[in-house]
Amino acid sequence: MTSPSTLAKPKPAASPLARLRSIPHLGLLAVLIAIVIFASVRTDAFLNPNNLINVARQVSVVAVIAAGLTLLMVAGGMDFSMGGNVAVTTAVAAQMLSHGWSTAVTLAVSIALSIAVGLVNGAVVTFTRVAPFVATLATATLLDGVALLVIDGMSISIDDHLSTLGNGKTLGLPNLTFVAALVLAVTAFVMRYTTFGRDAFAIGGNEDVARLSGINVVRDKLLLYGLAGALSGLAGIMLLSRLAASSPGTGGLQLQLTAVAAVVIGGTSLAGGKGTIGGTILGVLLLGVVANVLNLLQISSYYQQISVGAVLLVAAVANLMQSRGKH
Amino acid sequence: MRPPVLRVLGVSKSFGGAAALRNVSVEFRPGEVHALMGMNGAGKSTLVQIISGALNPDEGLLEVDGHTQNHLTPRRARRVGISCVPQRRELVMTLTVAENIMLGDLPASGSMVRWNRVRATAQRALTDLGIAIDADAVAGDLTVAEQTMVEVAREVRRGGRVLILDEPTACLGPEAAAQIRELVLRLRDNGVAIVFISHHISEVLHLADRITVLRDGQVTWAGLAKETDEKGLVRDMVGRDVVSRRPVRPAGSPDVGISIRRLCDGRFLDRFDVDVRRGEIVAVLGPAGDAQSRLFDLLSGRRRPDSGTVSIGGRAVRPGRIAHSLASGLRCVTGDRRRLGLIPGLTIDENVLLAQDRLEGRRLHRWGRLAERAAPLRDDYRVVSLVRNPPVEQLSGGNQQKVLLAKWLGTAPSAVLLEDPTNGVDVAAMAEIHSLVDGLTGQGVAVLLASSSAEEVMRLADRVVVVRDGRRIAEYQVDRITRDELLAATLGGAL
Ligand SMILES: Nc1ncnc2c1ncn2[C@@H]1O[C@H](COP(=O)(O)OP(=O)(O)OP(=O)(O)O)[C@@H](O)[C@H]1O
Ligand SMILES: [Mg+2]
Repeated sequence: MTSPSTLAKPKPAASPLARLRSIPHLGLLAVLIAIVIFASVRTDAFLNPNNLINVARQVSVVAVIAAGLTLLMVAGGMDFSMGGNVAVTTAVAAQMLSHGWSTAVTLAVSIALSIAVGLVNGAVVTFTRVAPFVATLATATLLDGVALLVIDGMSISIDDHLSTLGNGKTLGLPNLTFVAALVLAVTAFVMRYTTFGRDAFAIGGNEDVARLSGINVVRDKLLLYGLAGALSGLAGIMLLSRLAASSPGTGGLQLQLTAVAAVVIGGTSLAGGKGTIGGTILGVLLLGVVANVLNLLQISSYYQQISVGAVLLVAAVANLMQSRGKH
Repeated sequence: MRPPVLRVLGVSKSFGGAAALRNVSVEFRPGEVHALMGMNGAGKSTLVQIISGALNPDEGLLEVDGHTQNHLTPRRARRVGISCVPQRRELVMTLTVAENIMLGDLPASGSMVRWNRVRATAQRALTDLGIAIDADAVAGDLTVAEQTMVEVAREVRRGGRVLILDEPTACLGPEAAAQIRELVLRLRDNGVAIVFISHHISEVLHLADRITVLRDGQVTWAGLAKETDEKGLVRDMVGRDVVSRRPVRPAGSPDVGISIRRLCDGRFLDRFDVDVRRGEIVAVLGPAGDAQSRLFDLLSGRRRPDSGTVSIGGRAVRPGRIAHSLASGLRCVTGDRRRLGLIPGLTIDENVLLAQDRLEGRRLHRWGRLAERAAPLRDDYRVVSLVRNPPVEQLSGGNQQKVLLAKWLGTAPSAVLLEDPTNGVDVAAMAEIHSLVDGLTGQGVAVLLASSSAEEVMRLADRVVVVRDGRRIAEYQVDRITRDELLAATLGGAL
């Protein structure tokens, strides 16, 4: 037999176009840059440091949710209840803080609660084999209701309890952004370098094969949903610290859909087995910047929705064109 | 001689800068079985995909009835009468056999599907070909062999003047393979041009009228089947002679490696017993879809048997637990690599190390070292790819099989279940895999071979247990029986 080495010829020198194509997420990057250029030409307010810091603060919460969702979706899972989990966490934490509990106890209780919610999702999905979409949509609805119940439909202020996190800055950047960056970095590391992360790719690629290869699929799935819950809890605390109050509609489905959109725009497959944190970061930034620009340009909210939808479509198509072009 | 119905002229095709086909020209004539032969990765499936419109060539032309076809699509190919059963089974696993057969062509009155007609037409298509499969069965519940038959039936029913069969007999037992061959001859006599791909040389020599051999994407020989022989074909395919002979094996040790006692599982296994000593290869041979195809599920722990025990090295294994099966040192290599063997989107290196890393309890992965750790296995099993480390879904079928074997046999097993280990593998690789399996016995591994190929059993096994309807009906020492006697035993009950 011909030896493998003679067959694996070195690739011919890549043409500039091919080299350009091999930059990951090029399409998405191009759309993002185009929007940034457009925005800075149209309004001076966009590149104003205060505005940029504001954008960074806003996207931080979505980024934390999207990080957990990326890992989960890579493993073929889905959690629609992360937004609802955020709502419950903010509600519970706001009530506790306003009733005089210490910050430490409040954080511990609300994060534990969000992990529990995640584990329940995981258990339902793993043991009953209800489709994740259905199971977590049900918990999402349930959690939204619970959140309203906890704050009794009112707005609960926490004064300046969490203001160091929510409004503080280090080296000129919001503290929230540091938290988000840390979460993204750790998730990226886990996905690439740990067995747990590689298991997720294997499970998403073919669950039967993963199981037969000695991967503890049940444990991994529970952990993944638990992690999604924990990150929802963290995102809830971050959101509460930024808004300094929990009101009806904080978190919930709107936030959830933004996170799902960001992850999917970033190239993570809904079918599992594929996804990167890099793509998710671009997706989060893209959605954050678009929302900000539309606000700055004072475009009516009807047109805002239409434009967000259009950007979503363009980005998704751009992504797909690139991955097709490779063959 | 009748004029060719389909001509391929100077076709080339590259993937990512590496050539899979180079300037290939072939003609296919009505009423002829035209076999394509070549090693894994030679480009057979690529050529077939170009003919059936699934891929577009980089250079070259296709002519149907003398008319040049530019930009052939699968739909247009079908319209000019080219139908294809691809190498990978492409049934919709959640639909019934009848729906699959009639897919895209459902009889309807107005916009309502007429389900009676769907069932009846599909069932007739099956019975016409002598296939005993219930049209109401769900495709996913069928064995791979049955799925192949359904796909063939679907393409035959649609009619067409060119029928392409890409390794239709690769995972079939002797009976089912014979059925397919009979069918091929019948269609040929009706004037259909058949394109037939197989790695079984004797099968091709019996069946084909004309043979084209590919090597590294180029035609190395083309002519009438009667002008060549086994030796010549091997040389054209591989570039040298290949010998694969049973080595003289020292008598196995007296220690029992695998012991199966009174295993029962539905209609598939009925009080099944077998003992495999360390260093011994015992084959379980039966028609595809019979007992031996259930052994994988039961031994791997994917499925809990109704009753019975399995012991590895004298220790009973908890039934229905994958972790326990792996911990016992048993490695089960599936015959269904797509569904149960590999993760298509992951690279070769990752697939090769998938099980080993988990068994070693490795927690962190250094990507720089991944290639280094996978390299010896890739070399031992001769995995050939055009680019260095593609996702396994881009490998040719035979190379996927080699990745699968490397994945499991590289984990220092103490006992192994091999299910059709050379499914879809070329002659040269088959010889290499056989000697790797021989090597396993040298290390004292107990090998249970679940096979549907009598040739493979004769080449590898020390003993063979013949099963039918889930029961063992006979057992032979392989060196005291001829291949024909063995075949007769599998087909017709005990001698
Ligand atoms: N989509 C693809 N992308 C990249 N490379 C590919 C793709 N499809 C096939 N190849 C490569 O082209 C070569 C020819 O593959 P092909 O499937 O035609 O081989 P084959 O002769 O059918 O082999 P086998 O007997 O194993 O089925 C292989 O090296 C394979 O890795
Ligand atoms: Mg092939």
